[in-house]
Amino acid sequence: MLNYIWAGLIVSSLVFALVSDVGDITRDTYRNGEPLPVTISFPDGFNVEARRQAAEVRINTQEFQSFYGTTNSPDSVYAATLIGTEEGSQLRFDVDANLPEPLATIRDATNPREGQLQGEVVAGLTPAGGTVMLAFEPVRFVKMNAISAAALNFAETAVEIALSLIGVLALFLGLLKIAEEAGIIYAIVRLVRPLLKPLFPEIPDDHPALGMIALNLAANIFGLGNAATPFGIKAMEELQTLNSTDDTATNSMVMLLAVNTASVQLVPPVLLLALMGLQINQLIFAIIITTFLSLLIAIASAKLLGRLKMFRRTDPGLDDSASDSTVQG
Amino acid sequence: METIRQILGLLSYFILPAIIVGFPLYGLFKKVPVFEAFVEGAKEGFNVAVRIIPYLVAILFAIGMFRASGAMDFMANALRPILALVGFPSEVLPMAIVRPLTGSGSAGIVVDLINQFGEDSIFVKMAATMFGSTETTFYVIAIYFGAVNIKRTRHAVPAGLIADFSAMLIAVWVVRLLFG
Repeated sequence: MLNYIWAGLIVSSLVFALVSDVGDITRDTYRNGEPLPVTISFPDGFNVEARRQAAEVRINTQEFQSFYGTTNSPDSVYAATLIGTEEGSQLRFDVDANLPEPLATIRDATNPREGQLQGEVVAGLTPAGGTVMLAFEPVRFVKMNAISAAALNFAETAVEIALSLIGVLALFLGLLKIAEEAGIIYAIVRLVRPLLKPLFPEIPDDHPALGMIALNLAANIFGLGNAATPFGIKAMEELQTLNSTDDTATNSMVMLLAVNTASVQLVPPVLLLALMGLQINQLIFAIIITTFLSLLIAIASAKLLGRLKMFRRTDPGLDDSASDSTVQG
Repeated sequence: METIRQILGLLSYFILPAIIVGFPLYGLFKKVPVFEAFVEGAKEGFNVAVRIIPYLVAILFAIGMFRASGAMDFMANALRPILALVGFPSEVLPMAIVRPLTGSGSAGIVVDLINQFGEDSIFVKMAATMFGSTETTFYVIAIYFGAVNIKRTRHAVPAGLIADFSAMLIAVWVVRLLFG
């Protein structure tokens, strides 16, 4: 199942990106190769010698909207820098410019490192300013590029995060080890055990299965996942000795699984502790309340589903004649 | 409700100290060589961090691509009306889907939400609560039944999924109640 979801995420990303990019090309969203008319002025005056000079750029809203076929509006004025190069003059918008779409996308696609929208002034530049034609680099396959970039970036983030967790993980794993060696599990086994009897009515009173289940749950409560699993497996083996079939789950087994998947926890998983840091202080109550309520639901659904005819028919704890006569009750 | 919030707010200052001081104290009381036990356990920290890297990479890059392609927005918008019926924010939907399948992967989802909305956001709180209050259902079922060769699992999967599903809804509801 995970395989399909994971592959589905990746494949649908590609399909989505492709559809959206082809849509951009057919609609010509970015007007590649066509210059945008803007009005430019020089608040500090125009100096022919200077390589860089401050400029103010005004984009006419109506012109902009009809040019790009959009309803977004540009700000009234943008601060920019005019840079003289050998090929001509280049206009660079300031980094913090609040650009409307599609200009923001053009900026991200053509100059992602500096975060400045830059365009070539192809016509109309005079020392007095006025209307100039501004050509941006062509933008194609924005989403295609974006998904590749995302894949690379997130792969890097994943490792940074994982390594940054080492310290806190070590702290909590150390503490849990102390708790484990101190036998904290056994401190509450006696508490848990009497509660289990009604959940597992099929288990005889002096059977070791109940003890293993209690240990498994106690380990879960303290977040000792590594200790809980062996106890759980041992409990399953004990339950299997009570099973009249080889390959069919008994009601007790299903109940053990349900209680385990609801995961009663006073101490949250170490990974979560490490990720959330101090915030866990507040979240712990939300977690305890949720986990307790979902435990009740897990128990109820294990009990109630077990009464459904389709599951009752396969119950190894009942022989055929018995199940037929009690199905109505 | 407000008083409950305040009481919990006060109590919350003692949770981490209780774990960080309480466990060694209990260990001392039980005559455990606490320092050695701590170091022994802490050694695992590096291994765990390294062990989760492949899972984090796998989930984070796939989710990242999905988001970058615009598919996430599309899905969120498409499902929002349905999810709104049960008061479930579509932002935390990835957690609800991934949680029963992979634990380390769910950590990836929490990381993704923190990146996107910031540590304090209610979506991060919801996702973290889901993470803390449910289990990797399919993994548990596979391991436990695998250990004793049970092939017909009967109502184990439906019961586990019902529990998970309700835990997700309850988590949203409880977080709204406590922090909303």
